[in-house]
Amino acid sequence: MSEKRIAEHPILGEYQKGELVHFTFDGKDVTGFEGESIAAALKAAGVMVHRYTAKEHKPRGIFCAIGRCTDCVMIVNGEPNVRTCITPLVEGMVVETQYGVETKEAWEASHNEKT
Amino acid sequence: MKRHELIVIGAGPAGLSAAIEAKKSGMDVIVFDENSRPGGQLFKQIHKFFGSKEHHAKERGFKIGESLLAEAEELGVKVELNATVMGIYENKEVTVKMNGEVDHFKADKIIIATGAAENMIPFKGWNIPGVIGAGAAQAMMNLQGVKPGSKILMVGSGNVGLVVSFQLLQAGCEVAAVIDAAPRVGGYGVHAAKVARTGVPFYLSHTVIEAKGTDHVSGAVIAEVDSHFQPIPGTEKELDVDTICIAVGLSPMSQLASNAKCDMALIPQKGGNVALLSEYGETNIKGIYCAGDVAGIEEASSAMIQGRSVASHVCYSLGYITEEEFNTKYDSYQEALGKLRMGMFAPANKGRNDFTVTDEGYPISKNLLAKGYMTEEELENFPAYNYKKAGVHPIIECTQNIPCNPCQDACPKKCIKVGENITMLPQIDEEQGCIGCGLCVASCSGQAIFLMDETSDPDGVLISFPYEFLPLPEVGDKGTALSRSGAPVCEAVITDVKKTKVMDKTAVVTMRVPHEFKNSARFYKPV
Ligand SMILES: Cc1cc2nc3c(=O)[nH]c(=O)nc-3n(C[C@H](O)[C@H](O)[C@H](O)COP(=O)(O)OP(=O)(O)OC[C@H]3O[C@@H](n4cnc5c(N)ncnc54)[C@H](O)[C@@H]3O)c2cc1C
Ligand code: SF4
Ligand code: SF4
Ligand code: FES
Repeated sequence: MSEKRIAEHPILGEYQKGELVHFTFDGKDVTGFEGESIAAALKAAGVMVHRYTAKEHKPRGIFCAIGRCTDCVMIVNGEPNVRTCITPLVEGMVVETQYGVETKEAWEASHNEKT
Repeated sequence: MKRHELIVIGAGPAGLSAAIEAKKSGMDVIVFDENSRPGGQLFKQIHKFFGSKEHHAKERGFKIGESLLAEAEELGVKVELNATVMGIYENKEVTVKMNGEVDHFKADKIIIATGAAENMIPFKGWNIPGVIGAGAAQAMMNLQGVKPGSKILMVGSGNVGLVVSFQLLQAGCEVAAVIDAAPRVGGYGVHAAKVARTGVPFYLSHTVIEAKGTDHVSGAVIAEVDSHFQPIPGTEKELDVDTICIAVGLSPMSQLASNAKCDMALIPQKGGNVALLSEYGETNIKGIYCAGDVAGIEEASSAMIQGRSVASHVCYSLGYITEEEFNTKYDSYQEALGKLRMGMFAPANKGRNDFTVTDEGYPISKNLLAKGYMTEEELENFPAYNYKKAGVHPIIECTQNIPCNPCQDACPKKCIKVGENITMLPQIDEEQGCIGCGLCVASCSGQAIFLMDETSDPDGVLISFPYEFLPLPEVGDKGTALSRSGAPVCEAVITDVKKTKVMDKTAVVTMRVPHEFKNSARFYKPV
């Protein structure tokens, strides 16, 4: 288990988790627990950057963790702007870092055209 | 358009309590919450609450949430989740976004119980990954079981900052420091003291000026501030942290009330912009009410009573209860609220910093406000600390007038007395014989009660203290006794560990230390 996960908590005991599931993050195979937030699974896997802003290309990650700030949005199963902190993880999800509102490839392609 | 007698917006402690009260009287009520689970902030709170029995004191927040939910379910209260209320329009029409679609509802009465939003402070690098809100830290560790970071700087010393710091320690994270731009700790002294004794330093009159790093936080620069809260050049200090947690206050989420064109006002004691309310919690628009943090930042315990109080007025105005029934209910809710709203942390005293003595006339600890822990000299002013007798007995380091009395209820021998007014300091009744059961230690929401026994063990003094960390020490373990500031004091041997069901996860650990350290050793670190 990732050292970023709390193995046993003095008050909460052991966390009730769903099945261990596989998903991909930017093409890499990652595991997490079904039903936890995508953001929690990524955090446990050591991922900090969820997206880069459109104009200034600044990195963003989890900030509010309750679905309000939109800092944590990513491309999930091809759909952009998914708030990963409140979206439950499902087996086989394809999760990608979001560049502006696109995938890295699309962003680079459009970016190169302009320059 | 769907019709209901009452629409409650928000399924936190205020909203759920309101819905329960209304449903009990037979009203047709629906609750909307934008979250996927009900309970609002409650499920993130894992510490024992303050207050008295009627306020669920000594129960942990998430347990209170569970009982509220069970009550709501049993009554058949309808709670729509993932349902964001977008606006309130004329004639109490409400638009709700559910499953990507906008639905229209209409009600006779509306209770807004949307809670609060966290405040932010801008600083260089404040939006790089690794700078998070205190609520996010709580959600990650207490709901998802994932550590928000490994080394954390806590910005803010209010109750949220202090409680979340302690929770971070419980989750196995390191807290590098608690800082606050104000010159004094904002939250309860007992919350600060339990963090300080683990060794976390407090820097008051300090602010964060920069988050280091590009893709994630790799350090934090803090600096001292002057009396105008401006950083003083040359006082910068870099802390080795990977996470900066912001807990600089909450603001009422009152947008729905202002959109509905309720009369609003900026009231600092209430935490920001709030709707102006009648004594029954009604806005100037008849039939629209506010309850809980949205009406003024307080605590979950007061939010629950407010919810019930406001709902009882709704019941009365729709004819579900008589005027007499309403008056009885209203008076009892106001009395319960009144008890919580006394003492130096009362909402009316928010922002005040001119208290120098307690209600009893004892001088208030300056060190507690400046560093998060008390000095022995300061404690000596308090009788419940100074109490001495042969054999085991409590010593109480609770020195501010906070609304709290579980210590009094816990003692089977009635050794501890707070009295009618729950903000008075606990006193020790010397006539009663303490049996050393440790229930007061485990029940104290502020972890401020210790047991002392100077005579029963020839090899030293026995000191018992509350312990909520893992691994739990075992009898015979040797370690280091820590002082109130977390500094190593002497060697300690564990002589007893009590952990029973009524203690509810707070173990009472006893260590033996040499006599000369009886007034300084208050915590334990395994070697
Ligand atoms: C980070 C944090 C830490 C805290 N720590 C403590 C603590 O340790 N001890 C303590 O006693 N108190 C603590 N509090 C305060 C305590 O939790 C609150 O006082 C209490 O929860 C207020 O209850 P409420 O019902 O008014 O609001 P909340 O519990 O905030 O509930 C409001 C609900 O409304 C919903 N909502 C908001 N807007 C909409 C909308 N437009 N449509 C639908 N639903 C909506 C939200 O999703 C939420 O579920 C803390 C608060 C915060 C924010
Ligand atoms: S140890 Fe037990 S008997 Fe002694 S004061 Fe505490 S609760 Fe009372
Ligand atoms: S000593 Fe009593 S009043 Fe003080 S924090 Fe503990 S339980 Fe509350
Ligand atoms: S972290 Fe703010 S929306 Fe997800």
